[in-house]
Amino acid sequence: MTDHHNKKIPLVRLENIYKSFSSNLVLKGVCLEVHTSEVVALIGGNGAGKSTLMKILMGIYTPNSGTIEINGEKMNLNNPSIAHSQGIYLVPQEPMLFPNMTVEENILIGFNTNQAELKEKVEQLIKRLGWSLSLSRLANTLSIAEQQLVEILRGLLREAKVLILDEPTSALTFAEIKSLFQLIKELKSEGVGIFYITHRLSEVFEIATDVAILRDGIVTLKGPVNDFDEARLIQGLLPPQTVTKEIDTREDVKKTVDTDKTQPIMEIKDYSGYGFNSINLNVYPGEILGIAGVVGAGRTELAEAIFGLGDVTGGKILLDNEDITGKQVSEVIKKGLNYIPEDRYLNGVFTLADVKSNMTASVLKWLSKVFLHSRKEKDITQRYIKEFRIKVTGQDQTMKSLSGGNQQKVIISRILSTDPKVVILDEPTRGIDAGARGDVYRIIHELKNKGLAVLLISSDLEEVVLLSDRVVTMYHGRINHRFAGSDINLDHLMAASFGVYEDRGK
Amino acid sequence: MKRILLKLAKMREISAILFLIALFLIIGIINPIFLQGQNIMLTLKGSIMYVFLAAGMTFVILTKEIDVSVGAILGISAAVAATMLRNGNNIVLILLVTLLVGAAAGFINGFGVAKLGVPSIVMTLGTMGILRGLMFIYTGGKWVENLPDYFKKASQVEFLGINVFILITLTLIIMIQLYLSRARKGRFFAAIGDNIEGARLVGVPVNRMKITAFILAGIFSALAGLVYVSQVGFVGNVAGSGAEMTAIAACVLGGVSLQGGIGSVVGAAFGAIIMSSINTGLVFLKVPAYWNNTISGTLLILIVVVDALVQRHLSEKAKKQRLMARTSFVKEDVTIEA
Repeated sequence: MTDHHNKKIPLVRLENIYKSFSSNLVLKGVCLEVHTSEVVALIGGNGAGKSTLMKILMGIYTPNSGTIEINGEKMNLNNPSIAHSQGIYLVPQEPMLFPNMTVEENILIGFNTNQAELKEKVEQLIKRLGWSLSLSRLANTLSIAEQQLVEILRGLLREAKVLILDEPTSALTFAEIKSLFQLIKELKSEGVGIFYITHRLSEVFEIATDVAILRDGIVTLKGPVNDFDEARLIQGLLPPQTVTKEIDTREDVKKTVDTDKTQPIMEIKDYSGYGFNSINLNVYPGEILGIAGVVGAGRTELAEAIFGLGDVTGGKILLDNEDITGKQVSEVIKKGLNYIPEDRYLNGVFTLADVKSNMTASVLKWLSKVFLHSRKEKDITQRYIKEFRIKVTGQDQTMKSLSGGNQQKVIISRILSTDPKVVILDEPTRGIDAGARGDVYRIIHELKNKGLAVLLISSDLEEVVLLSDRVVTMYHGRINHRFAGSDINLDHLMAASFGVYEDRGK
Repeated sequence: MKRILLKLAKMREISAILFLIALFLIIGIINPIFLQGQNIMLTLKGSIMYVFLAAGMTFVILTKEIDVSVGAILGISAAVAATMLRNGNNIVLILLVTLLVGAAAGFINGFGVAKLGVPSIVMTLGTMGILRGLMFIYTGGKWVENLPDYFKKASQVEFLGINVFILITLTLIIMIQLYLSRARKGRFFAAIGDNIEGARLVGVPVNRMKITAFILAGIFSALAGLVYVSQVGFVGNVAGSGAEMTAIAACVLGGVSLQGGIGSVVGAAFGAIIMSSINTGLVFLKVPAYWNNTISGTLLILIVVVDALVQRHLSEKAKKQRLMARTSFVKEDVTIEA
């Protein structure tokens, strides 16, 4: 297996690739290659840099340093059309089709050559692959799987030698995955080299010839897939053992709620909707309940549905014994549940308004009859600025000029001003610097000590381990495992998030 | 299956044609004179100006932009053409200069939108004001009259019993339709409005195509200006004012989606005929002419709202299907604990 690596010139060789976005170093010297007839599975957690690396190969991003060799020749890729002409084609995670065009138009657009000849070529390709895909269908009538087929056809028509598949199975059904794998095997036998980005470890062993793990911008493990098993891959995904954190010092803070004796504040029963299925979960006052999982596992969709932002197809939610299923957001807030969304900029912050307005935005109704009661507004704002040590020059500082951490504190204050019993935090420390991160953690602990129930959604597993009293992991829209106490560790959560956890204890 | 889908794809134009037939029948029942051949010809002749405006507008709307300066471009190019006619310039030169005026105005619009990133509604609203002002300065606020007869009579020339302008328009529309649907680059306009990132990814020169769309809208507005001069015989200060709304309404009526990416120039042409039929029809129904704008505006909003609701419903449905696909996947090796 390894022999041919040394003999042949790789189709693509990425060497020492560095890439940063402003001050954030995403890739720290990545080396990776693919040869003919290889399927290189590229795995890694959220934000590990997989998609960035592939976009560099496509010429969508330019690396800060490092070289890209194609068939042994150094190339300067700074435009997708150059990558295309070199036979590299990316099938994006969300297909980039023209919804109002037919399949034929979608495939043929952008080619300079004779359209009739091309059409014949496409028809032959489809026939050879044994697909049933009508060229005259409109793209917006296609399933995601079919859309991906169209994207792959686009690549094949460009005679792609290297195909990049970015989490192709994330939106596919089981049968569709099977036919996709069949196609990958055929392409492989025809000599196409494939980069296969995935979150699913089981797929790695099913179709990959080689595997590479990307973690924190470096390749931590790479080699023929036969040399690995799931346990070793999980090891590669975890941070090195030497880095022990301040996590252990906080261990004493952890407490396990006596689930038999305590009355849950929120009960989620057989809850289903778009993106999540059959969720059963009890949440107790005074606990931090972590919800872990990979991107697309359905965590955010679940949180939005609970908060009244998404449709519910089944089950119900009791908040303090009151049914809040399918209620509107304002109603849910009133009943005592609040939610801080993942993307503050899109969903939470009024950037141009001042700190005071941002903090009291949720309670305006209660502060006023006709005109705002500005004294009360100031009092509330002052209280939280003091309590959470928010660094502001005054209550009238604009939100935009605060750091990410302080913005998050303002948002948490706003949520608290509605006097909630349950708070859902979605990725509360994303994009926040280390110092402010500690402050946010402290605030989350304070919430818990005040007797609030905190649902913590985070892709940062270390954060989940550090803060949570109990953890559930979600996988494909379902809760697949539950952990409490000393069972909460990176190892378990990582395995469960990737759907390969085995309860060794029992 | 294939046929049904193809038919569905064409639905948007078909509904415009049905609307047109219904309109003629309704007005015809109330006042049968409306259905006489001579009157239908008159209605068609009156619609030529709007067909040109709508054809140019189609290019712009396909790329998900809008151009509200087409009426003003019509006005200024009509004024330029009329003064040159009165001064006795060579007709070829006149046509060239007039179309150049339209192209230049379109280029400014396109440059502002594609290169400088000004939202098209703002950019073209600005040029509309500028061009209206320039027209007034150029004519000194006076009507341009006393035009040579040969140009006025051009609008009455017939070939095989059909007005020549109608024949020219018909030919142009068919040519544009073929270009947009068959030519390699013709599809780029719709591609940009359909999925701009996807268009960039397959190598569509997005900015250049947008500028081209605005230039075409300018040229077609200038053509409409020439038709105006020939048919009306003089150019007043308000020539073409309000025509932008008629043109946009015509496109929307003809199935050109303001969301970009969908629509054909044939549909837009039918839309334009509908709009001008409403105008003449109102006369036959003895409805005062000042109802025209009210009706155009109402139609415009009605169609856009219905269209937007349908589109939103479709995209939400697609999103739900995607999310459902994720959860329907259960692997054997996953044990679900209680």
